[in-house]
Amino acid sequence: MAFIDIDGIGKTFGHFQALTDICLSIKEREFVTFLGPSGCGKTTMLRTLAGFITPDAGTIAVDGRLLSEPGAALPPEQRQMGMVFQNYAIWPHMSVFENVAFGLRIARLPDAEVSMRVGRVLEAVGLEGLARRHPGQLSGGQQQRVALARSLVVEPKILLLDEPLSNLDAKLRERMRVELKALQRRTGITFIYVTHDQAEAMALSDRIVVFNKGRMQQQGSPRDIYERPANLFVADFMGLVNRISGAWAGPSQVRIGAHVLDVTSVASSRTGAVTVASRTGAVTVASRTGAVTVAIRPEALVPVTGPVEGRNLIEGTVLDSVFLGNIVDLSVDIGGAELHVQADRWCTLATGDPVRLAVDPAECVAMENE
Amino acid sequence: MGQLIAAPVRRQRFGPQNLVLGLAILLLLFLVAYPMLWLVLGALGVPAELTLSNFDRAFTRTQNYTALANTLYLGLGTGLLSMVFGVPLAWAVARSDMPGRQVIHLLVALSYITPPYLTALAYIILLGPDAGLINRLLRAVFGFSSGPLNIFSMNGVIFVIGIHVFAFTYFLTHSALKSIDKSLEESAQVLGAKRWQTTLRINLPLVAPAITGGVLLSVIDSLALFGPQAIIGMPAQIVFLPTRIYATISSYPPRWGEASALSLVLVAMTIIGLGLQRFFLERRSYVTIGGKGVRSQTIRLGGWRWALLAFCTLVVAMSAVAPIGVLTLTAFSKDWIAPPSLSNFTLAHFGSALFSDQVAARGIYNSFRLAAGAAFVAMAVGAAIAYLDLRTTLRGRVFLDYLAMLPLGLPGTVMAVGVLLAFIRLPIGIYGTIWILLIAYSARFIPLATRSVSATLRQIDASLEEAGRITGASWLQSMRRILVPMARPGLLVAFLLVFIPAFSELSATILLYTGGTETIAIAIYRLNDLGQIEVVCALAVFTIAVVLVLSALVHVLSRDRTAPSEGVG
Repeated sequence: MAFIDIDGIGKTFGHFQALTDICLSIKEREFVTFLGPSGCGKTTMLRTLAGFITPDAGTIAVDGRLLSEPGAALPPEQRQMGMVFQNYAIWPHMSVFENVAFGLRIARLPDAEVSMRVGRVLEAVGLEGLARRHPGQLSGGQQQRVALARSLVVEPKILLLDEPLSNLDAKLRERMRVELKALQRRTGITFIYVTHDQAEAMALSDRIVVFNKGRMQQQGSPRDIYERPANLFVADFMGLVNRISGAWAGPSQVRIGAHVLDVTSVASSRTGAVTVASRTGAVTVASRTGAVTVAIRPEALVPVTGPVEGRNLIEGTVLDSVFLGNIVDLSVDIGGAELHVQADRWCTLATGDPVRLAVDPAECVAMENE
Repeated sequence: MGQLIAAPVRRQRFGPQNLVLGLAILLLLFLVAYPMLWLVLGALGVPAELTLSNFDRAFTRTQNYTALANTLYLGLGTGLLSMVFGVPLAWAVARSDMPGRQVIHLLVALSYITPPYLTALAYIILLGPDAGLINRLLRAVFGFSSGPLNIFSMNGVIFVIGIHVFAFTYFLTHSALKSIDKSLEESAQVLGAKRWQTTLRINLPLVAPAITGGVLLSVIDSLALFGPQAIIGMPAQIVFLPTRIYATISSYPPRWGEASALSLVLVAMTIIGLGLQRFFLERRSYVTIGGKGVRSQTIRLGGWRWALLAFCTLVVAMSAVAPIGVLTLTAFSKDWIAPPSLSNFTLAHFGSALFSDQVAARGIYNSFRLAAGAAFVAMAVGAAIAYLDLRTTLRGRVFLDYLAMLPLGLPGTVMAVGVLLAFIRLPIGIYGTIWILLIAYSARFIPLATRSVSATLRQIDASLEEAGRITGASWLQSMRRILVPMARPGLLVAFLLVFIPAFSELSATILLYTGGTETIAIAIYRLNDLGQIEVVCALAVFTIAVVLVLSALVHVLSRDRTAPSEGVG
């Protein structure tokens, strides 16, 4: 039995359908990220978990204990969760110590234990010596740590994090990312993390759940979601992608202009009409006719000179070549489509040069047009 | 995955949150909705009958018809004065290099916070047809045999109210002018526009909605100002709607239905005005696009700045310096007709006002406790309504917010009629006690508190309370330990914003007080009728001093208020 069971959660605000039929099982000690653009429902789902929002449909249970059901929700203070807010929500009228001690004081722990536990958690997040400071005297990174310490000190079983790094500058964000991951491993707390930043999601998560328009689009490991997106939205959201229109030319072949590519198919979550054809063996599918879109990541296309065993080969002409330091960005005309290619930095192709691109069929993901 | 076997989630129907907020809603309905309901029922003749004849009488009976016409004329006059005084002053202070701009600004603020019935009293001393100080000066210099100016006239009422309400036009126009970014004017100048062309074709259209909004607000306020209308209008036998309503209820037997119908007419005029004002001010939004980084251009006037200064000085001299000056002088003079000198100086009037005069001393005491009580009730209800509106998803919260704002459109006289009708028949004996005044004041000033607390709550992100909840605090604990401490300065401002007008309230009090529940305003009103000018002035100076000190406190608190929450982000 899963630790957290989210079963069929739905929520509307007025006429706005914020969440539709969210079903999710989360294991203890898992680091799960809700990923999606703003307004996709990820924060609504997190706040429903926290008990700030009462669902219209579905249930949430933790450890077999029912927390939310349609029209009723256990109040947040009785859920034994912690939460880190996007703006940190540090109380400006309290010192760092008082902020962190708040939860313990509410639980009426003796003063000696409060001091000890606050001291320990401040040390754990790297804030030793700042206990007497007031929030106004802290940097953004330090406020972030106070927020973490405040939610960790009560030893929650689940920590909810709502875009906690989005207000930090790029360097600090990278450092906090590493610290968060280490903290999660050390404490064994189940982390549920909300972000719109796919790089952050991939760096941190055991599992990513992609949201769009209030619906779950796909869930899986970072690699799964990047390499085998369930639909065009996920493919687009997880990074740069070439979307090429073509037509089915065989059970696992798509014709694009003069080229015929071997492709991998992934079930469209919307229609469910196509089953998976993977590297290990093609599976025939009913609706293999008509228009189709093939998604190929730019770094999967490699300029080569000779034929390569088991790869699709695409001939084309370089339209533009830009040296970016670590990579060379190419635009390649393949007759009927233009491909974005990220070649390694030793690539010396120039505008007008003919080029031959090799790509693994597993990297060519065919998707039903939406 | 096993089947869940779990107890159903505990539903908190009667938790402390619902209890506290529910109580506030009941209080709001009791204070505002219930009297308003009675006002409408009363106008329809309930409980005796159900008829529209009261409205018929409101429009056809000569006294009523005249009052209505006078009120409209008054509105037109004060609206015009408000524009003539308010716009040039606002422009001079906001955009010109005229000397003394800060002083002019402060004096306009002073004329705004001075209760207008005190300005009216001051002008009786200054412009009374026989004994008025200015009249006597004019007679001495120019040799008129009588007069020549008489405050007891329609123009007198328009003037006294005009020099109070022009502050609305001034403040709205001033802030609109301040918010025009200089780039807008520079763009016109780069295209070859001359200074006066820029002013006429860029600035004026940009601030026109603010001017119109300010003038309308002045008109609306004028309609409801019972004090000057009674103090100057009654001796001159010029009747306006509020004084007519007062007369209708003071007659024997009181004509409740007619008074209610007249009240509704006054409310209709106010609501139409407020609707128009809102319409004009909403169009103003494009002026403020500049946001915080606004740099405004100062215009050099050369020699003209002295002419402008003369005009501005004249206006504020009439609106603030002369009335407050003459009240102060009189309060400290043995003989108010004699010129000020050391031998004419006395503190005796303050002695009688504060201690020996029964009515005055009781009035001061009552005003303090009523203002404090009403401020507390209004703040509490306002806070709850603002919280409901901003922090919950309660259905009908928008209606509650409207209801809490409704008294803003209700003149004090109207509020009093509603409260009278609502509570005169109720078995709980509050009619004739100080409680009925507390109800009327709380109801009247709930909008001020609601708006103020709402502004405070908007600055405090909801996540601060939520962080408390998820860390284990109940709703009550997160209110007590997080929201209230953070909102404290804002709550104090809300308290003061109600306390100040409640302290000097006249227009509702006059209909609701009885012997024993006189307030400071009633003491002033009645002692003036008895001709005790010096004691009246001592009370007036005391009132202005209290109001001034508390207004300064509000100013300081509001300025500091933004500081602590800045760290929250």
